[in-house]
Amino acid sequence: MVRESEYLVFTKNLVKRFGDVVALKGVNFRVGYNEVVGLVGDNGAGKSTLAKILAGIYVPDEGEIYVKGQRFRRLTPQKARELGIELVHQERTLAEDHPIWRNIFMGREITGPLGFLRIKEMKAAAEKLLNEIGLKAIPPDTPVKFLSGGYKQGVQIARAVQFEADLVILDEPTIQLSISEVHRVLEYVHGLKKRGKSCVFITHNIYHVYPVADRFVIIDRGKIVAEFRKVDVTPEDLTHILVSIARTGTIPEKYEKINLLNVAGSN
Amino acid sequence: MVSESRGNIVFNVLTTLWTRYRLQTTVFTIFCGLWLIFYAISPSSFARPFTYTAILSVAPFTIIPALSLTYVIITGEMDLSFPSIMALGAWVLTVTWHAFGPTPLGLILALLAGLMAGFINGVLVTKCHIPSLIATIGTMFVWRGFVLIATGGFSISIGMWRGTPIYQALVGRFGGIPIQIVWAVVIAVILWIFLNLHKFGAHVYYTGDNRVAAQMLGINTDRVIITVFMIHGMLSAFAGVLVALEMGSFWPALGEIYLLESIAAVVVGGTPITGGTGTIFGTFIGGLILKWIETGILAVGVTGFWIKLVYGLVIIIALIAQVIIRKREIRRMKIIGA
Repeated sequence: MVRESEYLVFTKNLVKRFGDVVALKGVNFRVGYNEVVGLVGDNGAGKSTLAKILAGIYVPDEGEIYVKGQRFRRLTPQKARELGIELVHQERTLAEDHPIWRNIFMGREITGPLGFLRIKEMKAAAEKLLNEIGLKAIPPDTPVKFLSGGYKQGVQIARAVQFEADLVILDEPTIQLSISEVHRVLEYVHGLKKRGKSCVFITHNIYHVYPVADRFVIIDRGKIVAEFRKVDVTPEDLTHILVSIARTGTIPEKYEKINLLNVAGSN
Repeated sequence: MVSESRGNIVFNVLTTLWTRYRLQTTVFTIFCGLWLIFYAISPSSFARPFTYTAILSVAPFTIIPALSLTYVIITGEMDLSFPSIMALGAWVLTVTWHAFGPTPLGLILALLAGLMAGFINGVLVTKCHIPSLIATIGTMFVWRGFVLIATGGFSISIGMWRGTPIYQALVGRFGGIPIQIVWAVVIAVILWIFLNLHKFGAHVYYTGDNRVAAQMLGINTDRVIITVFMIHGMLSAFAGVLVALEMGSFWPALGEIYLLESIAAVVVGGTPITGGTGTIFGTFIGGLILKWIETGILAVGVTGFWIKLVYGLVIIIALIAQVIIRKREIRRMKIIGA
């Protein structure tokens, strides 16, 4: 029997409908403490929907969410943040004309009496943070529009780190990035893991997530169809499995043995 | 030796100003350039203090609505109804004074009317999802129609109260300086502080720069937009009150001439019409530039018909300068990490 409290985040039978479309059809998803989970699947499989439910942006129609053992029917964005869940959106959530430090504190400014900004404090915190996640030598005063795609992603991750998130959900963080920039994002994820944080890395590119993930969860048409430990599979295996799912809707026989969904007691 | 080091300090200050506040410095340079030109052409009129008090007595009527309009434009919205709100505010004050005498009550009610008109604009834009350009064309006609119906199209005099304390406090003269320019400066300082040093101002910027992101990060952008329209409504009503008091009378077309002038002050001041950035300082100087031109041309002695032509040219030149500055800025700052 799985105990919900063993996991940082645990969902039971999540269902989400958009009109007639059922985006999630009873999803049981879990993330351990200090674990990096690769959530992979084709476009429209329900990856982002799941992420948005965990971040409190969408309200599930059915099911439950356990965070650190606490049970919830639904989360709000504020509640999710209080619980330490930060979503780094697929869409750029940056104000391009404004400096890095303002972007990091966007919506959660450090303020003094009467709501006046503590600018010095925020700049200093931003500078420290940029150093920590490897964005050294970039002055926090730099407007975000002058950063490359990878650095922009870095600023969004820095934002999550600043607010001491325990779980950072990265929704397609490597989309539209050059090879060296993808590498940079992977380094940020390594950094999160080193700091004892957990991470859900959403992508449809196995090769981007493979180097950093501990476990892979494959979602297809609103259902989780397979889970593998990294030690059991190679990137080629995973590609093979994804192609098979896309073509036939099934997993090749030989992988069923190592599919954690079939291993007793793991789910 | 001493003068050389002093020269260095001046040089350093100028370069810092230029690198940090390129846009504002440009606007300010245009302003000084115009002054020099006018001074050169007509030293006699530009050496007289009267010319300046003349400018400063009318400039606030353009500048005050332009200052709060800067907030609106930074959020990515537009307001075309503020000239009508100016008339509404002036009408409320006039009617109240005729009923109860020249008391602060008239001013309070006028400001409340402006707040309400702004609130309606904000709700139409955010809750009814009408693009602000269209919504405020609607309210522009509504409030103008309202004062026309209410007055039957007639003017109402309030000049008989000139000399009363409240009148003096709003548009009097203090050592020759028109009090209304003091009001404009005070309002500019307050708006600058809130825009740059307060959480609200930060949210105003984010709402215009990336509204979806702001919402995802928990900023209530609807509330920001409604508040911004309310501030703009209130300050427009205040400007309307000042116009009526300065002229000594309310008339139903009051405010109409400030529509394009105030928008021009904002864009000449360096706030892009697309929102996301912009400065209060720029708008203030932008407003002064436009009034400088008007007064300058008259003082120089050419016919007033030239005003519009020069207006247009200065607006175009200022905007071209801004485009060049922005492009060069992007070219100089190489993308980091690419």
